[in-house]
Amino acid sequence: MTDNHNQNLRTADHVADTEVALGKGLDVGTANLAAAVQNDEGGITVTVERNAFLDIPSDVYSKNMLTKLKVPYVVHNGKLVVIGEAAFELANVFGRETRRPMQDGLVSPNELDALPMMKLIISKILGEPRQAGENCYFCVPAPSLDVDNNVVYHQGLFESMINKMGYTAHAINEAHAVIFAELAESDFTGIGLSFGGGMANACIAYKSIPCVSFSVARGGDWIDKNVAHVLGVPRSKAAYIKERGIDIRDPKSREEEAVSIYYRSLISYVLTNIKARFESGKNMPSFTQPIDIACAGGTSLVGGFIEVFREEFAKIDFPIPVGRIFRSDEALTAVAKGCLVAAAIGES
Amino acid sequence: METVKDVKDALSARSRTATLEQLASEGRKKVRLIKAEHVAAMIHAAVHSAIETSGLVPKEDADRLVARSRDEFRSLMREREDELSKLAELQDALETRDREIERLKNELEAAQKGMPRGGASGFGGSDQGSQAGPQTGLAAAGSPDISAAIEKLAGSLNDRLEKLGKKMGISAAVEGEEVKFDGLFKDTGKTLESNMDNIQVKKKAGGGIAANLERLKKLKGGG
Repeated sequence: MTDNHNQNLRTADHVADTEVALGKGLDVGTANLAAAVQNDEGGITVTVERNAFLDIPSDVYSKNMLTKLKVPYVVHNGKLVVIGEAAFELANVFGRETRRPMQDGLVSPNELDALPMMKLIISKILGEPRQAGENCYFCVPAPSLDVDNNVVYHQGLFESMINKMGYTAHAINEAHAVIFAELAESDFTGIGLSFGGGMANACIAYKSIPCVSFSVARGGDWIDKNVAHVLGVPRSKAAYIKERGIDIRDPKSREEEAVSIYYRSLISYVLTNIKARFESGKNMPSFTQPIDIACAGGTSLVGGFIEVFREEFAKIDFPIPVGRIFRSDEALTAVAKGCLVAAAIGES
Repeated sequence: METVKDVKDALSARSRTATLEQLASEGRKKVRLIKAEHVAAMIHAAVHSAIETSGLVPKEDADRLVARSRDEFRSLMREREDELSKLAELQDALETRDREIERLKNELEAAQKGMPRGGASGFGGSDQGSQAGPQTGLAAAGSPDISAAIEKLAGSLNDRLEKLGKKMGISAAVEGEEVKFDGLFKDTGKTLESNMDNIQVKKKAGGGIAANLERLKKLKGGG
């Protein structure tokens, strides 16, 4: 996480009171789940948990130990399943891979029995609705340009899950949520990019109305997979290298060099696809004024991300004038925040 | 034609390219040349000859098969040409309709410009028509006809588009009922043993959203 990010996010010690505006935002991400709610101080409170788990043999000693260490677990099919960030940390300690309920931005077809675990995490971070049928806007990815994916199933699944928790679920495109969170100054006109764990989502909007949305099935996991492959290490180890605070402009080792190469490749791939969409002209708005590009998502948190993004942007002949290119100060939680904006507007 | 192309591809794949100088340096002064078409013809003749001599298929049957294949190919070609010609006709018809709609829209706009303020906001309003002067009355009388014509044209256009879509293998699908996934969550979470209730999840505070909401409300005309 960057210093800038830390400056803008502070740890809250208490749970938000209920006498605040209704509506909640939920970022259903491949790597992280985040829920946002307005607090009584005029700000927002975001609860984040890693969307991963790890099963270990179940015994009384382990259960007691996990509870003492404040590590969340669930007993499922006779196994002790460690949930969230702790699963990621344990996996690194034991040199194992975490199990991931989602893959490439969508519910993983290989981990369908992980749904109960995911439901537990979501219900924990979202909490109870403060009013029956309270609006909860959750993000969904846009259809991918490079893989054939079923967004309908994914969306329907989470809609049902959230409705069952007593909310009224509404889906919103992930990158559109970035626009709601980050482009208020530009009257919600511009390009929102969400660099997530499984995907990179893009949305081009004019005055808050999404004109074009699409995704590419490459994100942080794609970087991890390739880094793990070239270095011969588990993916969780590759993720750890990526997240330990490196600067992709100045790699200090062979491992960091690998991460840096794949980051640059990912950014270039996303930009090339956006450019191609603009050039295709299909449903594309024509902007007379330069538009802003806002980047967000956990994958954009790495040091030097926005500088490398600008470098790659300068290499391509982008077909429309662009003003500011920036990364959200709250990159990890921007999507949840955008969902909350949509929910609050829905409640008003 | 395909055979000749295949033979050319096969020859390219299995041969090398050499300059005359290279051949000379290898001690070759003369080379024999053969056209890919001739190779294809030789293969064709060889296959025919093999079929005939095999006794598996009588020569008459083999000839009949070849003739039938040719007929079928020609017939398919004709069908495809017919389809393309129909498609072109449909596209012409659509373009004609587009032009008609554009012309009628221009007429409508011209008629509306002739109406006094307030009268342009609606069509066929008897009150507006009766209050307006002679010019407005004309426009008001003309408007329903033009609207009806546009609606008719739009309907016709939709039909044409639908036909065109079917021709191209697409049709205007009607959205079915929303798929429900509630069954997937039957009883889930009820029997799971967990310590989640005793674990405090990490919370972070972020910047407020009041400014965003205010902007959005303004955009929506509520602020």
